[in-house]
Amino acid sequence: MTYESIGRGAKRAVRKTGKLTGKNDGIVRGYDLRKPHVKVFYAALTLLCLAAVVVSLLPLIYTILGGFKTIQELTRGVKTVGPDGKSVWRMHLLPQNFSMEGYIDTWKKTKFARHYVNSFIQVAGSMVSACLFNGLFAYGLAILRPRGWKIALAVVMGSLLLPGTTSIVPLYININRIGLQGSFIPLWLGVGASAFYVILFKNFYEAMPVSLIEAARLDGCSDLGLFFKIVLPLSMPINMVVLIYAVNGAWSDFLLPYLLLNNSPRETVMVRLFTLGRSKQVSAIDLIRAMMYAILPPVALFIAFQRQITSNVLASGIKG
Amino acid sequence: MQTRTLRNGSRLRRDIAAWAIMIPSIILFLFYVWEPLAESIRLSFYTAQGFRTIKFVGFQNYRQMIIHPDFTASVANSFTYTALSLAIGFLVPLIMAVAINEVVYGKNLARTSIYLPNIVPGLVTVLIWRFIFSSDKSGGLNMLLDSLGLPGGTYLSNPALVKPVIVLTMTWKSAGATTLIYLAGLQSIDAEHYEAAIIDGAGIWRRMRHITLPNLFNLARTLMILQIIAVFQILYEPILMTNGGPNNASISMMQVVYRYAFEHIDYPHAAAMSVIISIILIALTLLYNKISKPLDA
Repeated sequence: MTYESIGRGAKRAVRKTGKLTGKNDGIVRGYDLRKPHVKVFYAALTLLCLAAVVVSLLPLIYTILGGFKTIQELTRGVKTVGPDGKSVWRMHLLPQNFSMEGYIDTWKKTKFARHYVNSFIQVAGSMVSACLFNGLFAYGLAILRPRGWKIALAVVMGSLLLPGTTSIVPLYININRIGLQGSFIPLWLGVGASAFYVILFKNFYEAMPVSLIEAARLDGCSDLGLFFKIVLPLSMPINMVVLIYAVNGAWSDFLLPYLLLNNSPRETVMVRLFTLGRSKQVSAIDLIRAMMYAILPPVALFIAFQRQITSNVLASGIKG
Repeated sequence: MQTRTLRNGSRLRRDIAAWAIMIPSIILFLFYVWEPLAESIRLSFYTAQGFRTIKFVGFQNYRQMIIHPDFTASVANSFTYTALSLAIGFLVPLIMAVAINEVVYGKNLARTSIYLPNIVPGLVTVLIWRFIFSSDKSGGLNMLLDSLGLPGGTYLSNPALVKPVIVLTMTWKSAGATTLIYLAGLQSIDAEHYEAAIIDGAGIWRRMRHITLPNLFNLARTLMILQIIAVFQILYEPILMTNGGPNNASISMMQVVYRYAFEHIDYPHAAAMSVIISIILIALTLLYNKISKPLDA
């Protein structure tokens, strides 16, 4: 028998018996599965994955379904007549009917459209700021490198050490002192000071071919022109990574937006959700529907960019 | 890069132009990161009326803060949270990554599903789990128990259960992202190691113990410290699920800052608490940098 025919045989075997017995990577190999204890172990692993899928999705499904219910269905259940003839209230996971009416009703009642518009404005500004300020900073550090650039690098690297959450009090005081409370500007600009994004951009720019930059310089391009005409357009992959993080981060951001925008006409979705969540007067059904409004855009983004998002986590490793 | 210095006029002019490009971003970093740190330290030594600092009082704010019952409760809770999150949350992503890496059918479904909670905004995650652990019969968990014929219980108002419940919520949100990082680690293990072990007759247990786990050790160590850093900063969970209760059983250190600053409008004490948390976190981050160095090499 030639090696080739063995190879063909193996391929045929794989085709015949399926992916499982032909498995030839990782810890458990296809032929290990002939042993009964390995079979049990492997079945346990598969069940574990199934359990993880259920645990990950069930809370979300419970929330979505909850939003379709009526307030009575959600908090008391459905009145049913038991076997003994007495009527009892029973809870069900599924709503009695899937009508969008409830969702639309709450949307109108809580005036959520306004909060969506506000959140979109916040997110849009954050996207611009994330790429512009962090990108320009990284451009200076990776390509321009004026004398003393290491001082600027220290400003970035050092800030990786400092916990962001603990700076909230003085930051809030300072923003109030310069009179920018109730405005989106401090939220937008805050995204422009992210050491994580600067480092992502810097690593990408450093790997850029120098010849391109030199050619543009010879054509008399200014430093700023070089950034906008050459560096930024050539960095689409990293721009996408940063934008996806920035969109998700800005949409989910809550503490500073709450402190600055609460009780202003610019309340974002998260600010509104927090006040709904803390209020005693809000009905559970309105809250659960508002939660769905808040989940919808990031989940849509995730579905649209699923491949990029999951591979980003792998590529950029650990987000600090 | 040398040619850079030769073109477009004097080097000084080029340096000034380059710095001019970086200055706006540097100002943002100073405003959002560095100045708040300095301001926290300064403010923590003063008394204040609203935003206005009144007079220097030395360590008085720290002394008053440390004897406050919120402080001792929150510090003790932070250590319990850390221990619980290591007990509950540390092994889950590791085991999940090994399982997902091994399964053949439904690998993509599993990978996508477990990452989905990470996409859900933190605030919403907390509210979802508040619904699930609600102690009346509409709570998701009590509904599940009821359908299995078991009696429901109270969770968030139970001092013994409130911290594990909060840790479960955090684990649900973050385990997926951590699992993906472990998966990347698993995929970078050289297949030849396994083949050599198989030829030597090693069964799956020995392959796992001598190849898989040692290869993930550095990654696990790094992720453990990142997890501890995250746990020390929890805020949304206690604020929205329990408001720190019952009887301070779930109050976190960041929530103490929040209470001082935004409920009592007492910025100096909030700043003092921030400084203490910062010191802990900076120490942990330095440890993280020291430990994760060999990873880059």
